[in-house]
Parts: sequence; C-alpha cells; structure tokens
Amino acid sequence: MERTIIETKNLTKIYNGKIRAVADLNLEIKEGEIYGLAGPNGAGKTTTINMLITRISPTGGTAIVGGYDITKNSLAVRRLIGVVPQDFTADEDLTGRENMMMVSQFYDVPKAKAQENAKTLLKLVDLEEAADRLVRTYSGGMRKRLELIIGLVHDPKILFLDEPTLGLDVQTRTQMWDYVKQIQSRLNVTIILTSHYLEEIDELAARVSIIDHGKVLITGSPAELKESLKGDIISLTLSDQKGADTMKTIQGVVEVTDMGSNSVRIKVVNADESLPKIINFISQHALSTTKLTVQKPTLDEVFLEYTGRTIREAEGGDDARKLAINMRRARQ
Amino acid sequence: MSGLWPLTVRELKKWVRNPTFFFTGLIQPIFWIALFGSAFDITKFFTGPTGSAAASYILDGAPNYITYIVGGVLTTMGLFTAMFAGTQIIFDRRLGPMGRFLSSPIRRSSIVFSKIISSVIRILPQVVILVVAAYLIPNGLKFPHGFTIVDVLIMATAIILIAFIFSSIFSVIATRMTNMQSIFGIVNLVNLPLMFVSYAMFSRQMMANWLGDVAQYNPVSWSAEAIRTVIINGSLTASQWTQVGQWLGALAALAAGLLLLTAYLVEKEIRD
Repeated sequence: MERTIIETKNLTKIYNGKIRAVADLNLEIKEGEIYGLAGPNGAGKTTTINMLITRISPTGGTAIVGGYDITKNSLAVRRLIGVVPQDFTADEDLTGRENMMMVSQFYDVPKAKAQENAKTLLKLVDLEEAADRLVRTYSGGMRKRLELIIGLVHDPKILFLDEPTLGLDVQTRTQMWDYVKQIQSRLNVTIILTSHYLEEIDELAARVSIIDHGKVLITGSPAELKESLKGDIISLTLSDQKGADTMKTIQGVVEVTDMGSNSVRIKVVNADESLPKIINFISQHALSTTKLTVQKPTLDEVFLEYTGRTIREAEGGDDARKLAINMRRARQ
Repeated sequence: MSGLWPLTVRELKKWVRNPTFFFTGLIQPIFWIALFGSAFDITKFFTGPTGSAAASYILDGAPNYITYIVGGVLTTMGLFTAMFAGTQIIFDRRLGPMGRFLSSPIRRSSIVFSKIISSVIRILPQVVILVVAAYLIPNGLKFPHGFTIVDVLIMATAIILIAFIFSSIFSVIATRMTNMQSIFGIVNLVNLPLMFVSYAMFSRQMMANWLGDVAQYNPVSWSAEAIRTVIINGSLTASQWTQVGQWLGALAALAAGLLLLTAYLVEKEIRD
C-alpha cells in the first residue's frame, strides 16, 4: 500500500459557534492518487479544503498534510501544496505567463526553473499562444486552464482542485478532465478534487468520499460504491407478451418486473455476470428479443441510496440554499 | 519567502499598463497647482507697499502664493494618492488574487506593504511634475535662495513619510473590509478635513484661532511647513533646523509606528 499523504482525525469546523460546516471528518488519502470529495453545495467540501490548505483553522480535530500538522506548521504545509480555488485568482492586468512567474516567486522557485515549468505547463493545457496576452482577454475556459497550472508552477506534491469545472460547458469540462488526468500521470502529484458533478468524480477519482452535512457518508472507489448498490438493471423487450411472461420465470436474479408492451425490467447484482445467463435463457426458450439495454448505477444513485435524496434535490432545496448563504456570510 | 518584491512589481506593472490611471496621475499635479494657486490666492487683493508687507506676513515671508503652497499641495497630493492604497486591497479581495496570496507561503504583511510601497513610488513622479509645473507657470514657484539638494531631500523625505502614514492607515482599515463603498465613504469623509484643517493651503495667520490650534497637530501641516521653510529660507538657521527636524522627526515616528502596527494587525487579521 502506498504512503498516506493526508490524514484527518475528527476534523471539525463550526462557524459563529453554531453552523457546523464540517463535523468529525476522517479522511485518509494515499500518495499519488486522485481523491474525490463529492457532495452538494454546502456539504462542507470547500470548508474541508480550506482547512487542509491552512486558509482557515479548524474548530476541532487534527489534520496532517504531507507530514505536517495544519495548525502547528501551516507554513510548511503551504510550501508543499498547490491550490486551484473555486474562484479565479489570476490578475487580469498581467499576462498568463506573468501570473505564473509571480506565483513562482512566492515559493522561491529559481527563475530559470520557473520559466521552464511555466513553458511545460502552458504547453500541457494548450495555452502557449495566449501565454503572453493579458488575462482579461481570456475566455472562461482559458482562465480555468490557467488557474489549473498556476497552482502547479512550484512543483507541489499535493494539488487541491476545488470544483475545477464549475460553470464550464460540457465540451470544456471533458477537456479539463483530460488535463487533470495528464497532470496526475505526468507530474506524479496527489490530487484532491471536490465536485458536485458526480460524473466528474466518477471519471477522475480513484477513491471518493461522499460528504453531506459535513460528514463522510461512505468512502471507496467509484466502482466499489456503485457495486455496493447491488442493482444493475437489464431492460428487455421481446417480440410478444408470451415471451415476456416466459422471462418472468428466470431464476438467479434479484427481481423481474413486467413493464407492459412486451417489456421486462430485470434487476441483478452484477450485469456482467448475469447477462450470459439471461442470453442462455433466451436461446434455450427460443425467445426473440427486439431490444436489450444494460444500465449500471451511477454515482448519483449511490448518493441517492446514502442520503435518501438526489444531489439535485439536495442543492435545489431552500434549506441548502439558506445554509450556503449563511456559510458565506460566516466566512467573511 | 516574503513575496514583497513580486507583489510590488505587480502593482507597478498594473499602474504603468493602465493609461487612464497612469496619465491622470501625472496630469493631476499640474491641475492642482494651477487651480489652487489662483483660486485661494488672497494676496491679490493687497496692493501698494503696505499690501506687500501684509502679504509677506500672512505667507510667512514667501514671495508669492504659489511658492507658499507648493509644500502644501505636494503633501495633499501624497495624502490623496496614499489614501487609495486601501482600495487596492479590497479590489484584490473582490477579484480573487487575495485567495492565491493567502494560500501561498508569503508573509501576509507583504500583501499590504506592496500596496504601501507602490503608492509611495507612484507619488514620486507626481512630485517632480508638480515642482516643474509650479516653476513654469507665470508668477509661479520661486526659490529665493536657489534650489539645492537640501530642498530635494526635505521634500522627498516629507512626502514619502506622509505617503507611508496615510497608506498604512487606509490599508489597515481595508484589511477586514469587503465593501468598496465603505472605504470610499471613509476617504471622502476625511480627505477635505485633513487638507483644510492644516497649514497646507493657508497659514495660521489666515485661519480662525481654533482652526489654527487644531491644524498644528495635523501631520499634513508638519510636512507642508517643513517643505515651505526650506524653500522660503534656503539655508536655515539653527533654530529653523530644529523646527524642521521636529516636524520630520514627528512624521518619521508616526510612520514607523503605523508601519509596525500595520505589520502586526495584517499578519493577524487579513482574510479573503
């Protein structure tokens, strides 16, 4: 097993003595992995990140980042980490490259090394041509890409990505995912990623903790979490109702439901294993099918399972919105 | 790991690259000296030999009003530029760069000191332009005893100290502030009182007694008077040196105290 690079024990943050943003949070993050923190807005993801990057101090509990305690040795933690916050941080009146060079000086990176890093990173996210233009001329997607590499200019061991694709269009998001993957594989950096897009976590993270109301609900790889639901759905449409009735006699599945119009919905533990069995059954009984679809559960369904609501509901609710507003006020 | 140098360079780049900001800053001193010099010059009502004696009396021996107010206008300009150091901090907080600064291992106070130092640097070309403009306008600045390095040094020292004093005060005010309107409100509240409750534009002889009494405690008066004394008198007598030394000493002590206070408060209090 790889070395643990971040460990939190009962990490807690209470704003204004009453708003529990993070409550007894325990995390263990391994060196070199992409670790996802998923949950709706106001779940405590950003507060957790802000504690780990030493921007705010915890009310209780401890956290070790890269071997250093976040409260006792915050300066050492800051030297070790790179941060890509939710908001834009680049100075609009400087060029992309100047922003990178300025930040490299904050970390005392030698000039030649910083120039080389900037060049490599600008190339990595396809910003070479725009590098010497003022940031105010950049599009939203370009600015996000710049933010991503500004956080990397000093070769950090750990990179915190807070909602890296918030507000981006679908195409730009997919592109950002590619960049994040390349960064992780080429630069060998541990990445902590927060997102309320569960498909983003699914795509990028090796392991994920689902957080709600400041608590970890479950941790595991996206695949493990989805398997834990034991609920793949195989939908089958047959050429006549007789065939559909025959399908209902199949053994070794969780449940078969008649959906009408010659269709059945078969719930199985694992579609990969059950599908051959179903196909055998169809050929043994000489049934003819017109349509077959396999639906694996998404992380959205995992979220639903563990919280009893969908992530969209969690965000859309008035309470969640009020909480988010209160937390913003409390932070100021 | 201090971050002071890259942050100061950033401020100066932003200044030079913004043509409106840059050129208005350079033209402003010309406006000030020309407008204040004609608007407030009450000595034009004094005629004849008695009149010039009276004019000389209320202008502390200066040959004309422009010569009298150069020290005051320089100081006020330093004051007005320095007061905006705080707004830059709020801009950084509103537009995002503050988040980047606070998550990096730089000293917190560097963020504020870079604003203070760049304010001071921005004031220096204004000082040169103002002195040249005052000298060139008709019946303008006269150095009755010649223009020496002593004049330059006293002017520069006084203005730099004034800039340090007021940029520190307004930076400290801005460390916890997120609202632009609040800081502009405070600037507007105090800028004119600081300017007019001082000897910047008018001598004590021209003021109501109570106003003259209050004005002597205003740092703006100390700076204006120090510059004025050396311009009007050229080589100073021992007692004049003592007086100028006291003014500059008081400015230096105040600036040092405020800078220390700023460093302490900012390390503790600055947030995004």
